[in-house]
Amino acid sequence: MGSQGGFGQSKEFLDLIKSIGESRSKAEEDRIVLREVETLKVRLNDPNTPKYKLKEYIIRLLYVEMLGHDASFGYIHAVKMTHDENLLLKRTGYLAVTLFLNEDHDLIILIVNTIQKDLKSDNFLVVCAALNAVCRLINEETIPAVLPQVVDLLGHQKEAVRKKAVMALHRFSQKAPGSVSHLVSNFRKKLCDNDPGVMGAALCPLFDLINADVDKYKDLAVSFVNILKQVAERRLPKSYDYHQMPAPFIQIKLLKILSLLGTGDKKASEQMYTIVGDIMRKCDSTSNIGNAILYESICCVSSLHPNPKLLEAAADAIAKFLKSDSHNLKYLGIDALTRLIKINPEIAEQHQLAVIDCLEDPDDTLKRKTFDLLYKMTSSSNVEVIVDRMIEYMISINDSHYKTEIASRCVELAEQFAPNNQWFIQTMNKVFEHAADLVNAKVAHNLMKLIAEGFGEDDDTADSQLRSSAVESYLRIMGEPKLPSAFLQVICWVLGEYGIADGKYSASYIIGKLCDVAEAHPDDDTVKAYAVTGIMKIYSFEIASGNPVDLLPECQSLIEEMLASHSTDLQQRAYELQSIFTLDARAVKKIMPMDSTCDDIEIDKNLSFLDGYVQQAIENGAQPYIPESERLGISSISDFRSHDVHEPSTHALRFEAYELPKPSLPHNIPPVLASSTELVPVEPSYVIDIPHPTSAPSASDTGSSELKLRLDGVQKKWGRPTYSSPAPSSSSTDLVKVQNEAPRPDSASSSKPKTRDSSYDSRKQQTEIPPEKQRLAASLFGGSSKSEGRQPPSQKNSKTQNHTSDKSRSSKASAPDTAVKPSQPPPDLLDLGEPSIASSVPSVDPFKQFEGLFDFTQETTPASTGGVDGASKDSDFTSLFADMSLSAQSNIDPNPESNGLGGSKVEPTSPQLNKGPNLKEALEKDALVRQVGVTPSGQNPNLFKDLLG
Amino acid sequence: MIHFVLLISRQGKVRLTKWYSPYSQKERTKVIRELSGMILTRAPKLCNFVEWRGYKVVYKRYASLYFCMCIDQDDNELEVLEIIHHFVEILDRYFGSVCELDLIFNFHKDSLVEAAKEQASSISNMIAQATK
Repeated sequence: MGSQGGFGQSKEFLDLIKSIGESRSKAEEDRIVLREVETLKVRLNDPNTPKYKLKEYIIRLLYVEMLGHDASFGYIHAVKMTHDENLLLKRTGYLAVTLFLNEDHDLIILIVNTIQKDLKSDNFLVVCAALNAVCRLINEETIPAVLPQVVDLLGHQKEAVRKKAVMALHRFSQKAPGSVSHLVSNFRKKLCDNDPGVMGAALCPLFDLINADVDKYKDLAVSFVNILKQVAERRLPKSYDYHQMPAPFIQIKLLKILSLLGTGDKKASEQMYTIVGDIMRKCDSTSNIGNAILYESICCVSSLHPNPKLLEAAADAIAKFLKSDSHNLKYLGIDALTRLIKINPEIAEQHQLAVIDCLEDPDDTLKRKTFDLLYKMTSSSNVEVIVDRMIEYMISINDSHYKTEIASRCVELAEQFAPNNQWFIQTMNKVFEHAADLVNAKVAHNLMKLIAEGFGEDDDTADSQLRSSAVESYLRIMGEPKLPSAFLQVICWVLGEYGIADGKYSASYIIGKLCDVAEAHPDDDTVKAYAVTGIMKIYSFEIASGNPVDLLPECQSLIEEMLASHSTDLQQRAYELQSIFTLDARAVKKIMPMDSTCDDIEIDKNLSFLDGYVQQAIENGAQPYIPESERLGISSISDFRSHDVHEPSTHALRFEAYELPKPSLPHNIPPVLASSTELVPVEPSYVIDIPHPTSAPSASDTGSSELKLRLDGVQKKWGRPTYSSPAPSSSSTDLVKVQNEAPRPDSASSSKPKTRDSSYDSRKQQTEIPPEKQRLAASLFGGSSKSEGRQPPSQKNSKTQNHTSDKSRSSKASAPDTAVKPSQPPPDLLDLGEPSIASSVPSVDPFKQFEGLFDFTQETTPASTGGVDGASKDSDFTSLFADMSLSAQSNIDPNPESNGLGGSKVEPTSPQLNKGPNLKEALEKDALVRQVGVTPSGQNPNLFKDLLG
Repeated sequence: MIHFVLLISRQGKVRLTKWYSPYSQKERTKVIRELSGMILTRAPKLCNFVEWRGYKVVYKRYASLYFCMCIDQDDNELEVLEIIHHFVEILDRYFGSVCELDLIFNFHKDSLVEAAKEQASSISNMIAQATK
């Protein structure tokens, strides 16, 4: 068949296509198409156009539409053409309507009748054309019109028709599952159709149905296994072969179905082992399609009930994929690995270098897939490396879709596995800086909560260090332009809460900064609200501590601006801030206590402390309050709460409000208002006089008594952002606070960031060097797969803490001498995997590790080389234990050596090291932080789940 | 599931499109622009898959023509790659020896794609269908 002019097109048509093919620019192409559109408009509307010409015009119209131009003027002609008697014209008409229209188009209604008629046609080609149109054009409402006929066609003598009927039913069940739910048995029947094509078509709807509800189809498992067996044994006609594989597409579909049926079902899985194993053996791994089946088998194996033999075969196949030169296969290998490590974390380790290669591959797709893998295998021991990599990558890309995903993954991993709070905050800062508007708002609250609660136990120094470092980093960051709103909110909150806590910055400096923020973002009410509340806090801290306060001019102007704001929320905050200045120190201290965000706030929801006033008001003739539930239609208090958000909707929807008897509104508010007006002249004694001074009147219920009355609503509205949660675990009382203040030896935390950074730096500098890669591999894999038997490749003290606590929990609660343990260099070496590496490059590699760890300077080299022997010995030693579940001894034994190394020799350069965390402390801290929600990895139950399968 | 099939020339010109999910004309133009920008710039040895807006696009280059199929996240990429190849083989058989011009001049025969989508059917069946 010739390609040009062979199908009866006119010269005109060929010229059109040619000229478009040769056009040099988009503009030229557009010109040609527009000219064509004009021609077609005239010709199509000409009643004298002969039919065979009309067909060509319709096809030209399709071409126009395909090139992205509007061809809607001709749709009706395509519809008309479906009515034609001539088969060729009819089919062209159907083809055109399926391409032009979608199921919601107005013209559909004109076609339904034709379709109904054509479904009954004697000519199976007409029926096929109509069925094609059914798939594309019938919507939920018109399904009943054709459904009976389609069902009838399931028994048609031509297999092509049966197949298309199955596909049409499948389409119906996708669009409106309810409409065909009674016909599901038909799909089952079609599985036994004589024609393999029909059977294959029935697999698709069955796959969907099984996916939706596995249990209903468990009985089919045997049938599917049988079919797959027949296919694999080449019992299908030769014409189904593709590249010497028997019906590979059917095989793949069947494998998908089997993996659904076998998931979590030991019995069903056992039926499948043999056939899946056979298929994996038979796959021709030199062809693409063979690999596609192999890959699908691996996916299947990974979801079946684990079978050691199959897993082994799968691991082999993955190894082949990863070693291949083809990027496609590497990609699949990584993907398959991701699936398999859920069952068997060990296998990742064999492929560490391949994985690292993929991570550094210039191919973005492969890189992302590898990040998926890393995400799945993250544990406490490698979280830093992985998240660091992810953030690095996140910063480098523009694709907002993927950015969102990777940002939320970073957050998730950081929250789940964060080795310490400092790191968590720094990580969050990075994420926020680059993708704050893409992550969930809850993340910002978690961050604030963490900063507020700090380590949450008896180490106040560490807490305040954490906070001041947060303040400092924020002061530095906030100068940058274009910070995301969510991040600014966090910054404002932290500055307000802790900006002057350590006395390093003056109140006016911080206030000035906050004013700047508010000014720089005139359109962002939320940020402004955070800023003004921050200012308010600083002022009240100043007032409370008796320092003289003067209102900064820029602050004054800010307040004035906000008093006139359209946002009632901002107005209210501005009023509150103003009223602070009228109060004396005692009152302010009460309403805005220093550092009280973590305290629980007991809310007297009944406002019982107002009983007196209410009583008085009622005695004075006011109407008693009618509870909300007994009223109708009054916009409820809750509407106050979510004022900003719901205002429009309340107005739009709540018509009843206007029908309400007017009196109730004024009557039930007055008592409240009355009392509030009484209270307005604020006396210092007032606060003290309150019967139940709410145990910690929080930051937000500021001075004005008006606020007090709306305490409930205000709390909810402000409360969350301002002090994100009254942590349920750390009971509110002062008692806890006292505990918190119990001194703790200058903790390692302060030194952590530094050590870590330096370790990263050193790593970055040498990215290209193979040992480097090995180390990265070690830090990624070592811990994840064998962290039970080994120490995680900790690069810093914090991990040690987690780890120790880990150990102590799993094995022995009391290990007294671990207290003196410095952070452990040996684990790093251990995690290099093979001790031989350590010894073959003795002076370079381990040294780098130490450098990273301790900020070594050159002159300490002898010390580190000295350590190498010990270290490699350690690794030998532990490797003996690798397979045993970890015992405390195996852990402690190497320690004295490391102790000698790290403790004595390193001391001069990094004094903080010998103050390593003690075991008990770590344990307690861990438990506490866990309650707080930022789980330090080691303890994470998920980790163990992952590890143990 | 396949969401759409695109055939783009190396210059980014659209040769054939087929949309299996509803996209407005505007969206289509945008999709084509985005994808051709992404795919045409990829170096030859990289893998044939691209992640895009939560979907995956599998593409393969034949001479100066890129065949792209957009599929769901959990579909088997290699399988789709083979579907593309299968499709090309069918075209090849149908046209004798297929070249870009064949497709340009016979774009309206794209019910072939429909047939190719029905992965299971045998080649001869499909050709029989297409020629009718």
